[in-house]
Amino acid sequence: MSTMPTLAKQSRWTAVRAEVQRAVTAILVALLVTVIVVMLTSKTPFEALNTLLTAPASKPRTIGLWFDDVAKLTVTGLAFSLVFQARQFAMGVQGQVYVGALAATYVALSPLGPTFAAIPLGILAAMLAGAVWGFLPGIAKARLGANEIVSSLMLNYIAIELCNFLVRVQLREKPGVLTSLEFPDTAVFPPMIPGTRIDLGLVLALGATLLVWFALYRTAWGLKLRLVGHNARFAEYAGIKSTLIMVSAMTAAGALGGMLGAMFVQGQTYGKLTVMFEGGLAFEGILVAIVARSRPLAVPVVAIFYGYLRQGAQLMNIRTDVPAEVIGVVTAIIILLVSSSFSIPGKAWLLGLFRRPAPQTDAAVDGAAK
Amino acid sequence: MIELLATVISSAFFVTVIRTTTPLLLATLGGLIADLSGALNVALEGQMLVGCLTAVIVSVYAPWYVAVLAGLGSGAVLGLVMAFFALRLKADIILVGFAINIMAAGGTVFALAMATGGDKGTSINLVSKAIPPVDLSFLGVIPGIGPVLVSLLSGHSVLSWVAAFLVFAIWYFLYRMPWGLWLRGVGEYPAAPAAAGIPVNAVRAWSLVVSGGLAGLGGAQLAMFNYVGFARDMTAGRGFIALGAVLLGARHPVGALLAALLFGAFEGLAVVMPGLFADAPAELIRMIPFIVTILALVLFSYRAQRARQMRTLSKS
Amino acid sequence: MAPLLQAISIGKTYPGGVVANDGVNLSVSAGEVHAVVGENGAGKSTLMKILFGIERPDAGTLLLDGKPVSFTNPREAIEAGIGMVFQHFSLVPSFSVYENVVLGAEPRNGIGFDREKAIAEVRALSEKFRLHVDPLPAVGSLPVGQQQRVEILKALYRDARILILDEPTAVLAPQEVEELFVAVRALVAQGRTVIFIAHKLPEVLEISDRITVMRAGKTVGEVGSSEVTEQSLATMMVGRDVALRVDRAVTAGELACEIKALWVRSDAGQPLVQDLNLHVHAGEIVGLVGVEGNGQAALLDAISGAQPIAQGVAYLNGTSLGPLSTLERRAIGVANIPEDRIAQGLAGGASVAENLVATKLADRRYVRLGLLDLKAIKSNAIALIERYSVRVGGPAQAVSTLSGGNMQKIVVARELSEQPKLLLVSQPTRGVDLGATQFIWKSLTDARDAGAAVLLSSADLSELLALSDRLVVFYRGRLVAAFLNSAALTPETLGSYMLGLATQTEDEMKVALR
Repeated sequence: MSTMPTLAKQSRWTAVRAEVQRAVTAILVALLVTVIVVMLTSKTPFEALNTLLTAPASKPRTIGLWFDDVAKLTVTGLAFSLVFQARQFAMGVQGQVYVGALAATYVALSPLGPTFAAIPLGILAAMLAGAVWGFLPGIAKARLGANEIVSSLMLNYIAIELCNFLVRVQLREKPGVLTSLEFPDTAVFPPMIPGTRIDLGLVLALGATLLVWFALYRTAWGLKLRLVGHNARFAEYAGIKSTLIMVSAMTAAGALGGMLGAMFVQGQTYGKLTVMFEGGLAFEGILVAIVARSRPLAVPVVAIFYGYLRQGAQLMNIRTDVPAEVIGVVTAIIILLVSSSFSIPGKAWLLGLFRRPAPQTDAAVDGAAK
Repeated sequence: MIELLATVISSAFFVTVIRTTTPLLLATLGGLIADLSGALNVALEGQMLVGCLTAVIVSVYAPWYVAVLAGLGSGAVLGLVMAFFALRLKADIILVGFAINIMAAGGTVFALAMATGGDKGTSINLVSKAIPPVDLSFLGVIPGIGPVLVSLLSGHSVLSWVAAFLVFAIWYFLYRMPWGLWLRGVGEYPAAPAAAGIPVNAVRAWSLVVSGGLAGLGGAQLAMFNYVGFARDMTAGRGFIALGAVLLGARHPVGALLAALLFGAFEGLAVVMPGLFADAPAELIRMIPFIVTILALVLFSYRAQRARQMRTLSKS
Repeated sequence: MAPLLQAISIGKTYPGGVVANDGVNLSVSAGEVHAVVGENGAGKSTLMKILFGIERPDAGTLLLDGKPVSFTNPREAIEAGIGMVFQHFSLVPSFSVYENVVLGAEPRNGIGFDREKAIAEVRALSEKFRLHVDPLPAVGSLPVGQQQRVEILKALYRDARILILDEPTAVLAPQEVEELFVAVRALVAQGRTVIFIAHKLPEVLEISDRITVMRAGKTVGEVGSSEVTEQSLATMMVGRDVALRVDRAVTAGELACEIKALWVRSDAGQPLVQDLNLHVHAGEIVGLVGVEGNGQAALLDAISGAQPIAQGVAYLNGTSLGPLSTLERRAIGVANIPEDRIAQGLAGGASVAENLVATKLADRRYVRLGLLDLKAIKSNAIALIERYSVRVGGPAQAVSTLSGGNMQKIVVARELSEQPKLLLVSQPTRGVDLGATQFIWKSLTDARDAGAAVLLSSADLSELLALSDRLVVFYRGRLVAAFLNSAALTPETLGSYMLGLATQTEDEMKVALR
């Protein structure tokens, strides 16, 4: 008996190693595809690849860009991790980012903007707005069974159009310019390392990581959320109100999405609201969450690797003839490969497929195992 | 307001609605096939987008019908990719779908830049072709209703007629052909067809391929008739609206047609309103289809809940 | 005469090292009813899956008509003339009877599905084999006995010469079993061969011509039905004399649970339990008898809190349960061992420790101010693992990696870790081997003797008769009979009430409804 716990620990390490191996394999395959694509399309393939793989770490300024991305990817990864752990497929982080950004902008451009309260209030307002945006599909699903994938996607588009409208009509600097007025300095996150874009956002991201980890693994709410994710019927049987947990998970993820909105517009990069500022980053949280197996502590690690690639692609776009959008292909390949090999939702789906005949197998296996 | 009413009941508006409905209807029918086979196709958006770009690029070098078929084929290939990862490699189908959407969003811009020599916004410097409208002006010789028929029926895209025919064809397939029975059985309770020796995964895989093909066809219509040419993210959520339309249409082909028409009508409104009101907020009008989708989804879910209750009540 | 179907030294080991079949032999002659008996887990189901092409054997050969065959999927087995009726039916609920029967082998007219012909063929088949069922209604709306006939028709439609019935009587009431046997005899009379999997011995002796006995993945022997008795067969099955006996409760204690004029409705408002009155005393087991779906499960759900009470009241020691949440009910002593442990009783991906504490998340010992006390949760798990001798690496191991018996132990450990006042039990030994059955029965009687009032629902009448002190029979949501348990009470008596063929008067019931 005494050796068994160590065995269990060993098997856990093997599992972790297997997951890391698979993630690395996926990334290598994706890189290989990138190399092939670049070779085929670029006039200067070696320069392009060199930029992709080395440029982000080459200068303090690019390292700043890289870690600015890491912070943002971490937060969207955390938001997706939260809903994935509850086995929901809410896809609304993008919309939450836009409404969060709008809320932060209104705070920054209000009379409170030039005061010390602008940063905390801006973040808070953004989180609230995002939470509302996350709550809506949650409650629609809990009360009416409305599919959360569709409703959250629709809310993304609504948020984007809302943002476009308000920027054009109300917040614009001058007619015809699709950006808001610059925020007062007090409303912009101070840089942590002067001359780079690393700002308060990175601290927020790390804080959010610890908070989400703590909430998931050290609180009763988190245990309930994970139990709902593992088996909602069991959770109900155990007296856990699974709809309440589901809605609260989507709301909490919404708050994170909203905070990401504040990090965008209040960060060093922008310091103002512009249309379409998010550039598709929110959805890349799916990749981060999946590769991290929805584990909060693994999210920033994945974000560091993926952020590097992402920044490399941006720099490659600027310096060579290869468009940055090639990264979309890389992202997709990584998601496909990582989720296909051992995706837990995939397994559950498979079990569901053979749900009815399964007890017979059990009976046979049970007995024979004795 | 009166101008708006006059516009809405005009035959020109009807033609606009048919135009806006067609890509949506094709994608909705695609979503329906996949959904009934038990595989939720969230990649309709990406498949449509790739269909748009493929059709545009091929149309530069080939006749329009080859381009349309290429659009269809590109969507079908993506459907096959989905089937491979979701069914063979057991990945979660929703994650696979989003991977394809992400790939399509980035990949189309990448490919566009390659094809145009650097333009990442539109295909404006490519000379792409359009799908020819079907000219039915000979109906005008019918006395009395002839001119009305011409104004309503003439000038639609070939694909609009194809889509209308597909509503019937898919209905016939689903409810009057053995394979339709297989497909619905696989979607409702896969263990039953499996025990009857029906290859469940093959049925699902074909559904996904057809589903992707229909989305790609919708993309071809969008980029070769509604607009001529490709613009980044030109599908603008139509694939996702189609998902909502599948549910709203009560997972039936005729329901899909009605739901697509509803969304098409609102999109049509969004098209004509800026012309009527100079100060119309274009962004808010563009929002309408999305809001309608949410409302419709909520209403439908509520109705479905009630209907389930009524059905079991009447049984007892 | 050469046997029609022969399996020689079949071996099958599942991934994970579970040996399900080891040198199994089976020889079935044409035109006979051949029973395969054995305890749950003896390897019968695995053997049948191999015969039907769902599983592939690691060793051994199959001979059909003396020629070696090997099926890679059910389709090939079907083409070779083998049909199988699973215990859990493979029917699409919203499809009509005829659609289900012809699914996968539809008659066609051109590209279309010839529905007229399908209906006619199904009618003809059901006439020919005396399996009466209307081809038109949706299968989901039919009672279980008729669904089973649809399954048999499905196999016959595909011209099965050999029909495998996997525990066909498990879901049927005794009178429905008789009807099934009539049909089986009609099949054999028309030259078909039937392989009949079962573990209820009286039925086996009644219907079969020859019997193959399996034990622990091996064949023990083959006997003619006329040569054996129930007792000798049981000894062959288990390998020793069977003594599944339970001590009765000494005396019933105080009234614990009082159910008054209780109604339960489905989500749709359909009545599932109607006007039910029942008393359960501390220290007794009350068996809930009935064909599945007649209100037993709904009653247990209403008391556990999984389903709301529509009307009426249920008290536990004077506290009305209706207004309480599931968690509050658990707090005052309600425990619940659910029917399907994997689907309902456990969260497979979560750890053993988390599963053991999942129902106690309002308990101050484990959760304070919303924070988990990980130390207490771990020591709780270690203590329960020890006490119920669960074979597991440690509290952090995921439950899904455990064997079925150990999973069931986790559920029992969690529910009985604190002495319940009212214990709800549903199908406690379904799909569980003999050793675990003994363990679970002992746990239940221990809880009873420590003062729990127990409500027990089971599809297995012999289990109900073995464990219950009193039995009540449900028919269409109402109590139609009540009995004090005694040796004189037989399954047949219960059966006629289960099917609504008989109903006790108020006065007759009163005796046993103390």
